[in-house]
Amino acid sequence: MQAELPHLDPAASQINVEDSAEQIPSAILSLSRMLLTLFIALLMGALVIWISGKNPVEAYRALLQASLGSRTAIANSLLAATPILFTGMAAAIAFRAGIFNVGVEGSLYLGGFAAAWVGFTFTTLPPLLIIPLSLLTAGIVGGVWCYFPAILRSRLQVDELVTTILLNYVAILFTEYLVNGPFLVPGLANAMSPQISESARLLRLLPPSQLNASFLFALLAALFTIYLMTRTKFGYEIRMVGDNPQFARWSGINVVNVIEKVMVYGGIFGGLAGAGQVMGVHYRFIAGFSSGLAFTGITVALLVRNSPLGVLLASLLFGMLRSGSATMEIMTDVPRDLIRVLEATIIFFAAIEFGNLLWRRHREH
Amino acid sequence: MNIDPLTNVLFAALRVMTPLLLAALAGLISQRVNLLNIALEGLMLFGAFFAVVFGAKFNSPWLGLFFSIVFTTLITFIYALSIIELRANLIVAGLAINILAVGLTSYLLVVMFNARGAYSPSDLVSLPHLNLPLLKDIAILGKVFSGHGVLVYVSWILAGLCSVFLYRTPQGIHLRAVGERPEAAETAGINVKGIQYLALLLGGVLCALAGAQLAIGDLTIFNDSMINGRGFIALAAVFFGAGKPGLTTLGCFLFGLFEILQFRLQTSANIPPQLPQMLPYLIVVLTLTAISFQKKFTKRMAG
Repeated sequence: MQAELPHLDPAASQINVEDSAEQIPSAILSLSRMLLTLFIALLMGALVIWISGKNPVEAYRALLQASLGSRTAIANSLLAATPILFTGMAAAIAFRAGIFNVGVEGSLYLGGFAAAWVGFTFTTLPPLLIIPLSLLTAGIVGGVWCYFPAILRSRLQVDELVTTILLNYVAILFTEYLVNGPFLVPGLANAMSPQISESARLLRLLPPSQLNASFLFALLAALFTIYLMTRTKFGYEIRMVGDNPQFARWSGINVVNVIEKVMVYGGIFGGLAGAGQVMGVHYRFIAGFSSGLAFTGITVALLVRNSPLGVLLASLLFGMLRSGSATMEIMTDVPRDLIRVLEATIIFFAAIEFGNLLWRRHREH
Repeated sequence: MNIDPLTNVLFAALRVMTPLLLAALAGLISQRVNLLNIALEGLMLFGAFFAVVFGAKFNSPWLGLFFSIVFTTLITFIYALSIIELRANLIVAGLAINILAVGLTSYLLVVMFNARGAYSPSDLVSLPHLNLPLLKDIAILGKVFSGHGVLVYVSWILAGLCSVFLYRTPQGIHLRAVGERPEAAETAGINVKGIQYLALLLGGVLCALAGAQLAIGDLTIFNDSMINGRGFIALAAVFFGAGKPGLTTLGCFLFGLFEILQFRLQTSANIPPQLPQMLPYLIVVLTLTAISFQKKFTKRMAG
């Protein structure tokens, strides 16, 4: 009666998950699946709004209006989509390799601080030097941060989900310490670093929106990821490890190496996402600025079944939701936390749909 | 020599280990049916939320506790249903519960009390604290073991019962059989699904107690970040204890001790609070690393 026991079924790992980015029919299929999941989530959200005595139609209309209603509204949606593009790609790659890397959130904080530090320390450098230097530092810091749990996972089989979640608390507290201790700016109400120099700030694309050049970097990163996953040997190795680590090992793939690279890759993206927020939006590091962007990335990746192309589309959608929700709250009194409920519903349905296809985990605790 | 500081630390450690222990018992029972319970964190948050909300509504911590158990178990039932009947992915479904907990409680907090992030009903009193009749007069033991909140003692009793349940009752033996040899258990006529439901739902009750202890055990307050990774620390304690109730309890005590020591460090030494706050998380990660090291080493020794 193995069929009764999904989580213990050894045959599960041998099921091949089709790669939605590669074939046209399956792309249409996954698009309709994504729309269905989204529809169910919005329906669930409507139910929650209705039960709490508000009008769901008005709330969603306000949300749509605030996210697409004007040029600035659209720019703000793209702005909100920027970090989600990074974290969504990071999650999609990790999932594809069967890895649950939540450490991207920590990388986002540490990378964000690193970019701010470069920006307020090397104030005399010209933009052409300081901007690449900031991004590079943020990427390295973010990548190194995820390398620790990566080693633990790949070489010692320490559960990466638990370690990365716990290490996120460490990263968040550490950056909070930095702006409260060594880099304290006296006289500010909230804990934040000094402002970065003018030359380290990214170009604003459509003022008065804060949409900035980091959106273009995120697009580049997304295109690079799509190329990486579909056209390179490394992408193939990632898919092999995700489908069946045992078989991948027998075929001569260095599984340890692939897992480490995938997690570091996610960390680099997290760092860049943080840098984008610091250099393009806030112009300084603010303690606690992320509020779960890595989890939104996970939601996005799950919604589109880890297809990098799908992440590109779904990030824009979640940018709209995030950007519109604040206005929705002001206009209709429906709290913006509704977005989290939508996220949870999407993840929940993704969990049911995937069943035991992906993320078979060998746990021997 | 004055031993008061030591007894104070031990007393406080027993207090802060309680939510960890209750959640760890939930994780342990799931672990024994081979279901890794990622949702502990979210279920604890739900437990805390319902305890405060219903406690305030009926102005009784006991009714708060009761409804917290009812509603948290209800949510656990949906989680269990999705995993067992709909074959949802265990980890992803757990993540969904955790995110739902943060989202829904914050949402309801605004809608119901117009409060963002935190809510503290002014009239609600916490669950009673007990002075153990004979023990409280014994010099050191009294100071360490007497005067705790009622759920602290409940957690000790439940830890003992958990051990008895797993090793001395037919259901417990069935439960372990399902975890270790599912096919054999099925062949032997054990209701595998029923056992899986039992394990997860018991976990829901325990998480409700864990959340209630945090929310109405000493103070009466809810805030959306009050669980603070305790669900995952509890899971780490289960790994530490290798699924055994005694060792898992020890793990919770040690992690609780570190939580208290970091707190003492914050208040006594003149250093920024964030640095000591990082310590418990780092120690748990190091502990998990050490366990894996040891496992790898023994495996290699065994050939």
